[in-house]
Amino acid sequence: MSITQYNGSAIVAMTGKNCVVIGCDKRLGQQALTVDMNFEKVFRVKDKLYVGLPGLATDVQTLHDRIRYRVNMYDLEEERAIQPDNLAHMISNMLYQKRFGPYFCEPIIAGLTEKDEPYIMGMDLIGCLSSAPDFIVGGTASDNLYGMCEALWEPDLGPDDLFRSASQALLNAVDRDAMSGWGAVVHVITPEKTETYHLQGRQD
Amino acid sequence: MDPITYKLPHTPQGIQKPGEPVKHISSPAVTGSSVLGIKYKDGLMFAADCLGSYGSMLKFKNQHRLHAIGKSTVLAFSGDVSDFQYMQETLDELMNSERNWEDDQSLGTKSIYSYIHAIMYQRRSKVDPLWNSYVVGGIEKGKPFMGYVDLYGTTYEADSLATGFGKHLAQPLMRKALEDKEGDLTEEEARDVLLRSLRVLFYRDTRSLNLYQIAKVTGEGVTISDPTHLDSEWEFGRNIRGYGF
Amino acid sequence: MVPTEHHGDQWEPYVDNGGSTLAIAGEDFVVIGSDTRSSDGYNINTRYDPKAFKFTNNTVLATTGYRADCKSMAKSVQAQITKYAHDHGKEMSVEAMAQMLSIMMYQKRFFSYYVFPIVAGIDKEGKGAVYSYDPVGNMERVGFRAFGSSSALLQPFIDDQLGFKNRADIKPEERELHLPDLQQAKNIITDVFNGAAERDIYTGDGLQLFTITKEGGIELEELPLKRD
Repeated sequence: MSITQYNGSAIVAMTGKNCVVIGCDKRLGQQALTVDMNFEKVFRVKDKLYVGLPGLATDVQTLHDRIRYRVNMYDLEEERAIQPDNLAHMISNMLYQKRFGPYFCEPIIAGLTEKDEPYIMGMDLIGCLSSAPDFIVGGTASDNLYGMCEALWEPDLGPDDLFRSASQALLNAVDRDAMSGWGAVVHVITPEKTETYHLQGRQD
Repeated sequence: MDPITYKLPHTPQGIQKPGEPVKHISSPAVTGSSVLGIKYKDGLMFAADCLGSYGSMLKFKNQHRLHAIGKSTVLAFSGDVSDFQYMQETLDELMNSERNWEDDQSLGTKSIYSYIHAIMYQRRSKVDPLWNSYVVGGIEKGKPFMGYVDLYGTTYEADSLATGFGKHLAQPLMRKALEDKEGDLTEEEARDVLLRSLRVLFYRDTRSLNLYQIAKVTGEGVTISDPTHLDSEWEFGRNIRGYGF
Repeated sequence: MVPTEHHGDQWEPYVDNGGSTLAIAGEDFVVIGSDTRSSDGYNINTRYDPKAFKFTNNTVLATTGYRADCKSMAKSVQAQITKYAHDHGKEMSVEAMAQMLSIMMYQKRFFSYYVFPIVAGIDKEGKGAVYSYDPVGNMERVGFRAFGSSSALLQPFIDDQLGFKNRADIKPEERELHLPDLQQAKNIITDVFNGAAERDIYTGDGLQLFTITKEGGIELEELPLKRD
């Protein structure tokens, strides 16, 4: 089994009409053994900008730290809020700097742009960006998430419907994946506010 | 110092010791490369080059790889020649024993195909496979049939079939030709796409030869051409340094 | 999935030819969907190689995995079913066929069929029945099952739509009351196969949709899927 699957994870980001959601499961494991049931993998960068880090837990934490550092430096140097596409390229660049000894993590970015347009972006562990108009998934349950999202996603959903679709996709995907689960967190990002929901899932 | 040894393509991997499970020599010796088959208006057409390779050596340059079985079936093979010859003997035996009934009946293409598949699957299940891929085709009760069998016992049918490198290089050309004409090629169009495919194979498959045969099955029966020279174009290499001109 | 790589110079007698199957049981029907692509690695062998087999007037066996084994297994089952009909003067029931297949597969425990089968039909009580197996014959009767290269994409979705898992709008104890009707089940299969063909390179070309009802016997519809 690949090192990216050592701890287990599931992350999904979806676009809607003037809104995005990003969610993750809460499990942290060491292969089949569950170690922590409250290990979140999606992090706030700005009010309307989140990053999901599926992959090896140690790299998830290190990357989160480094992203926070780089974003703070950006704030101080540029004196303006970082935009989702700036963040995507920043992380992509950080990952490619470690091209031959990579972080085992495939980040997913979700947020609203200056014009409050939805923005999602995925990348591989060495920073190859890949955009999608609909959804981006990652982690050990990615196949399951693809199946769920391909069937549940539809264009121009409002925040409530989008939240329902993403939550449904996430919970049912992790229930068929042994490496992820134990509840989920979903962030619904709208121009006015970002709401965070903690979902109860199967505890096995 | 170790003596210099040359490993022949068919050198067994280990030596049989008494009491041990039977080990099989499961690597091919003299081999044929791709064969192609395509359905067209009046029946089916097959193509193969005439090379029997021994490793990278062009050992037999007049190897026939298209064979008639009965009156309206063609068997095209790639892979190990001796394994094919075993298959051919087995099929001859089968056809003879059927003829001995003297009831003016003989096995049709689908029956022959089914028999070949049975042998191939039986041998793979003994983990002692016959190292071949076959394209079997013909006309039975007025209807064209063409199927593929390989050393795994995998079978499938389609309007165009290829083995080996032909799966990568020829199959796209044949599928396109069929798609453009909605599966209704004339004899000329079928021959044209097969020759184009053979030429691409000659350019890109190192174990191929510019001497080929074409077989045809129609309502009239089977015809297999004599080995024919395949024209090819190498003038482009004149301006390329290191190309050998 | 059973590994099919080559280990050293030892020849592997298995291939994975891809493809997916999905069966859904209703109150008095079953629907079985399966795609028609057969592939070997990145090659598409053929765009039309049906992997669901019709037995009796009441049973379909849908398979994925190694196609030579699938066909061989289906042939053995057919032989046994014909023999049963001759011996007993009646058609074999789905329950009997399901149990028989489990035994036949376990008989090859140490050189198993690399097949993931689903048996579907109408049981003696007139209810839709779906039986799913692993390659060595472990059998389970289920309400719905997805197998094959797209199983990870299909199964979570039908858990949601038919099993009502993680659904706040339907209480767990009420799940049994919400069996799908025939049209719903068919729609789910076509929708979900289009999704699978979008993301899984081994699923595509064509969809075979079998419908089994007590009155109508077995009906087959063929629909196109993405060919790329």
